[in-house]
Amino acid sequence: MTRDEIKDLILEIIKDIDEDADFDTLQSDLPLRDQLDLDSMDFLDIVMELRKRHKLQIPEADYPQLASLTSCVNYLEPLLKNI
Amino acid sequence: MHTPLLIIGGGLSGLAAAIRFARFNPDVLILEKHSRVGGLNSWYYRHNSLFETGLHAITNFAPPEDKNAPLNRLFRQLKLRRKDFSFHEQLTSEICFTNQEALRFSNDFDLLLHEITSKFPGSANQFIKLVETIKEHDPFQTTPFRSARTYLDNTLNDPLLVDMLLCPLMYYGSSVENDMDFNQFVIMFRAIFLEGMFRPHGSIKDFLDRLLNHYQNFGGKIRLQAQVARIIHQGNKVQGVELQDGEIIECDALVSTIGLEETLACLDTPPLRQTQGKRLGFVESIFRLPSECRKDLPTDKTIIFYNNSEQLQYQRPQTLVDLTSGVICFPANFQGLAPQPYFEVRTTHLADYSSWKSLAGDKIAYLTAKSNTASQSKTTVEKIIGNFTQHVVYEDTFTPLTIERFTAKKEGAIYGCPDKIKDGNIGYDNLFLAGTDQGFLGIVGAMLSGVSMVNQHILSRL
Ligand SMILES: Cc1cc2nc3c(=O)[nH]c(=O)nc-3n(C[C@H](O)[C@H](O)[C@H](O)COP(=O)(O)OP(=O)(O)OC[C@H]3O[C@@H](n4cnc5c(N)ncnc54)[C@H](O)[C@@H]3O)c2cc1C
Repeated sequence: MTRDEIKDLILEIIKDIDEDADFDTLQSDLPLRDQLDLDSMDFLDIVMELRKRHKLQIPEADYPQLASLTSCVNYLEPLLKNI
Repeated sequence: MHTPLLIIGGGLSGLAAAIRFARFNPDVLILEKHSRVGGLNSWYYRHNSLFETGLHAITNFAPPEDKNAPLNRLFRQLKLRRKDFSFHEQLTSEICFTNQEALRFSNDFDLLLHEITSKFPGSANQFIKLVETIKEHDPFQTTPFRSARTYLDNTLNDPLLVDMLLCPLMYYGSSVENDMDFNQFVIMFRAIFLEGMFRPHGSIKDFLDRLLNHYQNFGGKIRLQAQVARIIHQGNKVQGVELQDGEIIECDALVSTIGLEETLACLDTPPLRQTQGKRLGFVESIFRLPSECRKDLPTDKTIIFYNNSEQLQYQRPQTLVDLTSGVICFPANFQGLAPQPYFEVRTTHLADYSSWKSLAGDKIAYLTAKSNTASQSKTTVEKIIGNFTQHVVYEDTFTPLTIERFTAKKEGAIYGCPDKIKDGNIGYDNLFLAGTDQGFLGIVGAMLSGVSMVNQHILSRL
């Protein structure tokens, strides 16, 4: 997947969790949680969806790397490069 | 047969736990002893009409746009569209201490604030400070029991106000006599006073049908009339369960929602754990009345929590029932409900399991006690809401024995054992407790419990 595709994947997953999520003002380098009103339970859903869709096992220790959209893409790029 | 996740109990916590898992993996099976789902909050038919077993009101009301409210978080976690549900908010409820004081509250917290400021002016400032503390406190940390009553006595300095605030919160969410854990107090205060009460559109059956449909659409499976007799395990590792009829179902992980002691009783070598304190039993009566009588009874009140004695006694009585306090609910008095040919008055009082149990062998004595209890309940609440006895077209009463028979809750104790297992961990590698004895009580509480136990213990094993 390209960086853009990964970004779209994340946004699609978030939309699936919260259909009212507003991406218009979303800043890629700032924490997703603060900007989108996501709590830790919603956050777990992003991890679970990645596992369900792409069989990715993300260890709990790596969750902080999914904080912002940019950090998500950075973290996932090598893991999704062959998809 | 083998399934990755087994869930014992198709009550609200079991359903929520199962939906939460099925959302990511359809390989989950609910085993429910009864012929229908819902557990304590289910329904039955009499004379061709549906009666709800346990619904007064659901707590934790929140409008759809309040994303971080527990109710909406719960819906998101279950992938239910909040907007697809229509809810009816309560009108006004009341805490009524006869010959002492009355406090009204609604889903607008300002009403309670105003009532307390005008009726307990000496405690008003402390009350406002208390509310701030409640808003800031994190009630989900696992800390040892801390008495909410002692805390309130020290902060509010008014025993009557303390009793009045505790009354609805204990009736709707305390497994402990005359008190509650401070964390549980904060949860219930937010759920009832700060968020508020509602009922779903239609009946609890409609609500449960939707949950079940949603679960089955994810591919989740359920077996009704499937009673778990034994949990098969080797040391701390659970391998599966054996049903009443001898069938064995293997699993990788097990979530039990049937209660702590009820679960331990299914294990061959239960780890030693003594539960302390008495279980609280209740009697619940339903009185059905023709709609013509509505005008004679309050039409503006949803729930009345009353107390007729000097000091509130939220404790196990020594007799069949203690009528000195209780709950009166008018399920027809919610906003926007269409008029029906009949309406109900429901009453709840504390009851003593062992007194009822001693009558169990004598059917006539038991039925007489039940009908006397219903009559006494009517006479007691008529003094508060007005006369209606002569118009009752149908009535039914559930005792702790009824509840024990239909839900297998030990001693029919709706809120389970007094001490809770907050982390759901009862000493096994792959068996976790959810629901009543994990500690989140009521409908929303049970569902949040199911979701959070699956999040904490099960999803990471997928
Ligand atoms: C009369 C009454 C009024 C109430 N009013 C309200 C209210 O107005 N608002 C509110 O929020 N809450 C109310 N409650 C409380 C609320 O219903 C409960 O807190 C909640 O439903 C508990 O859900 P649970 O899943 O933890 O337990 P349960 O509902 O008890 O679910 C456990 C399930 O496990 C099944 N089971 C037991 N043993 C076995 C076995 N061995 N094998 C297979 N299955 C088994 C039982 O049949 C049951 O279906 C009321 C309860 C009652 C009884």
